[in-house]
Amino acid sequence: MRWLTDPLSAPYMQRALVAALLLSLAGGLLGVWIVLRRLAFFAHAVGSATFPGLVVAAPLGIAPPLAALAAGLGFAGLLSRLTRNGATGSDAATGLLLAGALALGSVLASDVYRSGVGVDRLLFGTLLGLGDADLWLAAAVALAAAAATAALARTWLATGFDPAGARALGVSAARGDWLLLVLLAASVVAMLPAVGALLVSALLVIPAATARLLTKSLGALLALSVALAAAESVCGLLLSYHFDLPPGPAIAVVAGGCFALAALVSAAPGRHAARVAA
Amino acid sequence: MSPAARIEAAGLGASYGAGAVALRDVSFAAEGGQAVAVLGPNGGGKTTLFRALLGELATVAGTFSIEGAIAYVPQTERSRLDFPVSALDVALMGAYARTSWYRRVTAADRALARAALEQVGLGERAHERFGALSGGQRQRVLIARALVQDAGVLLLDEPFAGVDQTSEDAIMGILDALRAEGRVLLIATHDVEQARGWDRVLCLRGEQIAYGEPSSTLTNAVLEATYGAEIVMLDCGHRAVAIQHHDHAH
Repeated sequence: MRWLTDPLSAPYMQRALVAALLLSLAGGLLGVWIVLRRLAFFAHAVGSATFPGLVVAAPLGIAPPLAALAAGLGFAGLLSRLTRNGATGSDAATGLLLAGALALGSVLASDVYRSGVGVDRLLFGTLLGLGDADLWLAAAVALAAAAATAALARTWLATGFDPAGARALGVSAARGDWLLLVLLAASVVAMLPAVGALLVSALLVIPAATARLLTKSLGALLALSVALAAAESVCGLLLSYHFDLPPGPAIAVVAGGCFALAALVSAAPGRHAARVAA
Repeated sequence: MSPAARIEAAGLGASYGAGAVALRDVSFAAEGGQAVAVLGPNGGGKTTLFRALLGELATVAGTFSIEGAIAYVPQTERSRLDFPVSALDVALMGAYARTSWYRRVTAADRALARAALEQVGLGERAHERFGALSGGQRQRVLIARALVQDAGVLLLDEPFAGVDQTSEDAIMGILDALRAEGRVLLIATHDVEQARGWDRVLCLRGEQIAYGEPSSTLTNAVLEATYGAEIVMLDCGHRAVAIQHHDHAH
């Protein structure tokens, strides 16, 4: 038991725990819509796209969330431009921009730009070193994700289920999509200090993808996704404390392990037979 | 259902934006209780017409008027079968427009959705996952969703595509019942023979080729003008089959 409680006596661990739980709420809820709408690759790419913005912003004294948001919006704008005429597919354009952003960030972080910023910290986060502003941002995003899920669940469900028929149902598909993308970008920005540009998927995609393997009802999917994100975050945090691991990668490893376990469980003969019978 | 369903278009033209006009000069009128087969090749303007009538596309010419609520019944293959929704959840989507964002779907609408599923013969399967149903059953659930919308005018986008004969018969029975209730049905289809069984036929090929009763409309000349080289005449010219590639760009 002390293995669980001792780490939480340290104030920096308490702060990390609060941040992890708030980000788990945001990531768990939004992750369900991201996975259902097949935006997982886009979400990962938005996170990576913030990397060069953060590298450039650090020596200029620009607030990291603003730099990340600007980089994320630039990514979305370029993606829209590249895919406009249909010559380049959305996934190809996303991959191209993702690679470009990581390469540009790495070049800038080298002697070329002399940013002086810690690349490891930007890419993998520092959950154990968050400031008040990071916590407030995490709380705001968690609140927004919960409110948006309560208010827009029907719109997101109808639009994702039947894009061709959604407008005829009287739901505002375009506005719902726009809000989902804004929330996704805001969540990515809030998660950057904790898990870094490369590991936002650990909170924003993997818990929801894991829950998706285990349940077929939307309510259970939302609840399980949040619970998994929270459990994986706490578990990763404890592993980080006891084994001196970087917390972001530890959380990602735990989340990946849970996904693998869920994949094995869902592929078990009994569950497969039940699905076929259903 | 709202009484006195009716739809009328006069010289209607629609465009997908700044580009070329996708559909022009469409004029027709249908009263409650009538079913209109909308025939045409892929890209001929069937879906464009539906989208214009739903207000999703800008009309560039003419006018149209609709009395009663309008609903769109898409092809089942265009919906996501992996979504975590039951047949009842899908039927309930028909109540979304009248449900404020801060309220739950009402008990009355839940009862309406169950009744709609009963009406299409799927009351017993209300809680089954939509994606686990057969193609014909899914199509019937989508029709139930339109009933929950209280639609007097239903736009059905190839409702018989990809369903087996048993399901086709079931759907046909449902459509006959909806007609008998005084609803207007516009049914996009490639089946020329089936179109002969509806009240009116609207032939499109970028513009209106013909509109009227099947007996006077489905002539060889009209079908050739509608489908061009894609029409095959059988049985000494009495039977027509439209050969189509399944490309749903328009």
